[in-house]
Amino acid sequence: MNMRVYVNKNLLLIIGFGCLMGVPLFIDAPYVIHVFIMIFFFGMVSVAWNILGGLAGQYSLGHASFMAIGAYVSSMLVIQLDITPWIGMWISGLFAGVVASCFLYPCFILRGPYFSLATIAFGETLRNLFTSWDAVGKAQGILLPIYQDAWYYMQFSSKLPYYYIGLALLVLIYVVFIYLDQSKLGYAFKSLREDEDAANAIGINTARYKLAATFISVTLTAVAGAFYAQYVRYVEPDLMLVQYSVEIILPAIVGGVGTAFGPIIGSFILTPLSEYLRVAMGSKVAGAHLIVYALILMGIIRFSPSGIVGWLGGKNIFRTAIMKKLGGR
Amino acid sequence: MSRIFIQVVINGILVGGFYALMGMGLNVVFGVMKIVNFCQGELLMIGMYVTYVLHVYLGLDPYMSIPIVAAILFVLGGLIQRGLITPLLGGANDQNLLFMTVGLMMLMQNGALVAFKSDYRTIQTAYSLQNLNVFGQIISLPKLISFVVLLLVTFALYTLLMKTDIGRKIRATAQNPLGAKLVSINIKTIYVVAYGLSAALAGVAGALLLPFYFVYPMVGSTFTLRAFVVVVMGGLGSIKGAFFGGIVLGLLETLGAFFIGPQFKDSVVFVTFLIILLVRQKLVLSRS
Repeated sequence: MNMRVYVNKNLLLIIGFGCLMGVPLFIDAPYVIHVFIMIFFFGMVSVAWNILGGLAGQYSLGHASFMAIGAYVSSMLVIQLDITPWIGMWISGLFAGVVASCFLYPCFILRGPYFSLATIAFGETLRNLFTSWDAVGKAQGILLPIYQDAWYYMQFSSKLPYYYIGLALLVLIYVVFIYLDQSKLGYAFKSLREDEDAANAIGINTARYKLAATFISVTLTAVAGAFYAQYVRYVEPDLMLVQYSVEIILPAIVGGVGTAFGPIIGSFILTPLSEYLRVAMGSKVAGAHLIVYALILMGIIRFSPSGIVGWLGGKNIFRTAIMKKLGGR
Repeated sequence: MSRIFIQVVINGILVGGFYALMGMGLNVVFGVMKIVNFCQGELLMIGMYVTYVLHVYLGLDPYMSIPIVAAILFVLGGLIQRGLITPLLGGANDQNLLFMTVGLMMLMQNGALVAFKSDYRTIQTAYSLQNLNVFGQIISLPKLISFVVLLLVTFALYTLLMKTDIGRKIRATAQNPLGAKLVSINIKTIYVVAYGLSAALAGVAGALLLPFYFVYPMVGSTFTLRAFVVVVMGGLGSIKGAFFGGIVLGLLETLGAFFIGPQFKDSVVFVTFLIILLVRQKLVLSRS
């Protein structure tokens, strides 16, 4: 692709990325940086989920448990084998990808809500086992040992390094998604989503492509989970709760399932919203902030079913702007 | 050993009755609209709180309040269906419905949290702590009464769905919405009735649970997951299947806790669920 066309087409994206690179130069409040890191984290896992859920159309509700596997494995690698998280997070990602692929492989004959239910059962079983497993600290979970500013252990007293690591991972996962979206593999994924029987009929090996989508999606989710473990320094089995799986998916739902940018927009809306509401209302009346959050969520689903990106696409704001730039085609 | 074993079996059946009732409620919605309803357990929680309020402020016995609870939940369910779910049905993305019910779940849980705080609440009745002694087996009286009422409700639901006009319409819509439309069934009304019925069943389960259990805002979540297990075990749209599925689930849970260890009972339940789900699908595929 011509560089100029590429820059034109993705102008907003590039400006946005530039702004994010510069944010810490102007804001040094740790809380604001923390909110940004959480935005990046939920953006990461939601884009990763979107590969399986959005592209291949298999709605997994067990992604929180895959994320937690990543967090557990990388933490155990640090504690038991003294392996640096810079490498450990990729090992844990691949490990989770292989485990999830093996266990979900028989489930690929299930369709629609039945697949979702199977992934819930999978996640709940894992949570139950981790809650009573001695080696991973049972219900107490694992506390990572604290080192002062140790590069080797990916631990920093400032939040800034986490900000840039998070942003880098988000960009990486986003690029993987964009690449898949336009590749032959991505088209095979989309054929599963649109009509599995038809895909079968034209000779697409559906089980194999579901496996590929699961592996990629879970691996990236687990890498994000390892990042989370490094940032929070604490892993517990409750991370595997279905409600966290839902939290992983919500940015994609709000932003637009199956779109590359949707989950990121969704995360930029939902994460600060829930943080703001928690501070503004949750501290006064327990639960009040989640009522407002739930109402806003239901409103978005009710009135904009294809997400914000779909809604903008319907209005053609971006497209007309880009077309103008390209010479009114 | 054998005495404890029989006790475990009895407990399993008594607990299973509730899973059966929740499963039957979910079955009506899942069967008719094929949506994964995540707030089924929260409807049970609301049923429990309504029963609680009726008991504390009006002195109504929990078993007497069943018709009121059922009516309130029926209306609530109908409103949810009409206002939030029907407009999304048949839209571009059916999966959104799942997240609509997740939103409802959060709304109900936190609404209850604001209204009642996170305290565990329970009620005291004359029979709350009474036990029956049958051939050396100890059975809690409220659990037994609840189980009997539950059997009656199951029978009533079965009659409603199988013998009455509205029941036939619900089943017709579940089988084929387009076909139902063609024979001039107003399927939007059927949807409202189905969701209302499902909510009422959850509410009744809540009212039956309160005499020997406690209510708190998050009480529903375990029941939601169990209800899904029951629906899949018993088969879609089958009331009998859901009933026996519920009993089997209750037995699995207590026997699993007894033989393998109480901390692993969830694993036993969910692994069995996965196996049944997969075997069923394999059978369906090999038949077609």
